[in-house]
Amino acid sequence: MTTDRPPRPSGRRRLVLDETVEVPEPNLAWKSRTLEWGVRAKPTKHGLRIGDLNVGIYGEIPDHWEEQTRMPRGAYPMPGVPPIGISLRSKRELWADNAADLYEEAIQRRWAPATDIPWHTIEPLPDDVEAAMCQLCTELSQAANVEFETIGSWLQHMSYGYHEVKLFLATEMFDAGRHHEAFRKRALSNGGGLGLESRGEVNRMILESKGGWSETSLLLHLLRGTFIMAVYRYGERYANNPAEKTLFGLAMQDKARHLAYGFQHLRYAVAHKDDKAMIFNQLLGIGERIFARELKEPALLEPMAIVFGGGIEGARVGMERVHRMMGDWARSYLSAAEWIGVPRDKALSADLAKYLED
Amino acid sequence: MPTFPSVEWFDAVRREFNSDDTVRGGGGGTCDARIGVRVGDSTYLLVFEGFECASASEIGEADLETTDFYLDMPIEDWTDMLANISENGEADLDHTLNTIDLDSPDGFALSYTGDQYRQDLFFRYNQTFQYFFDLSSRIETDFPTT
Repeated sequence: MTTDRPPRPSGRRRLVLDETVEVPEPNLAWKSRTLEWGVRAKPTKHGLRIGDLNVGIYGEIPDHWEEQTRMPRGAYPMPGVPPIGISLRSKRELWADNAADLYEEAIQRRWAPATDIPWHTIEPLPDDVEAAMCQLCTELSQAANVEFETIGSWLQHMSYGYHEVKLFLATEMFDAGRHHEAFRKRALSNGGGLGLESRGEVNRMILESKGGWSETSLLLHLLRGTFIMAVYRYGERYANNPAEKTLFGLAMQDKARHLAYGFQHLRYAVAHKDDKAMIFNQLLGIGERIFARELKEPALLEPMAIVFGGGIEGARVGMERVHRMMGDWARSYLSAAEWIGVPRDKALSADLAKYLED
Repeated sequence: MPTFPSVEWFDAVRREFNSDDTVRGGGGGTCDARIGVRVGDSTYLLVFEGFECASASEIGEADLETTDFYLDMPIEDWTDMLANISENGEADLDHTLNTIDLDSPDGFALSYTGDQYRQDLFFRYNQTFQYFFDLSSRIETDFPTT
């Protein structure tokens, strides 16, 4: 086959300059538009962390962020930029003092489900155990999906003045995506498959929580998050093989980080708004009832009883372990609620308080 | 051959931990925490800074107040955990730190001050602590006869 295309030039293309074109002198007006120059953030033995950049005006974190644009904290404001409708502009609506450190922690402690889980250690399990594990993984995968979709829907409403929080929540989204991926992989890696899609009332409650980010965080971190943490811990305890052990263990570490942000933020919100504790108490009362109702769905606790008991025959022992897990959950939930400033020990829904009984 | 528990033993594990790059990935990473380790009547302090376990020292029980949390179980259970790690190269399904914590009636990772936020560092850095104790498999250990 021949072509009629001309040969390509071998050297650099030659531009013909038109000397008559008027090129304006650069005015460099932008060059002096800075609120603080000469900044030299210093790395520590941990490297140069996002929190280390908080020097001079760049470290001034206002209680309220007036700017309605995407202007970064410390940048020179440009007049005339149309507002983009950022609704969360008060520090108390999203802030947590640990957000910058947690962001770095998330970046440091990331893991890859494809290669960091020893998938080769998974061996065939009895059908009942495999089915139960697949059902559990279906639920966990869905819960993680709800987590990243929920955070994603709020991020765009958060002011740029509090970038530490936005950055951390971006990592939580990524973590949740990883959990969705990893539990789906477990369900599809040993001859089983995805299980039942439950009604997901708690998922819906979290996704449709629109009152404010703090209220969503209350449901996502304090109520649902502590429960997922308990499931991850017991999943690690009763793992069938090193792959599951590693999977649940690493997910547990991520979840602890998410809770650390959630607890700090909720405590901050309660401390900086008079009636926040009352609002949170009311919401938790509603949330606990929905959560307790969902727990009655067989698809949630029954599979765990079979996994923890090593099969249907051991499900009675397994259900005792589930009960113990729920007791551990209830204690950690109440303890966290107390720490945040929303004591729930006297108000806890009766359907949940029963797990505190021996 | 260092005896468990002793500063010499913890230093030997520290050297392994600080020189092994593999513990910095796969869920590991920098870690800033002060951990107490109680073994019978003896109490030790491990200080984690950045990628390293910076120091190990013997402390008094009251010094546990300076820790984020402390690990506490009888010498027999410590011996059982470390023997399992030595045998398998890492903790098996029944001997991870989380599993031991869940199986201990009074808990294994405890707070001296009641500060739950600091106690939760046990979970946030769990993989690092697991790596640390798993590396004890490389240390030939002398356990005191009880």
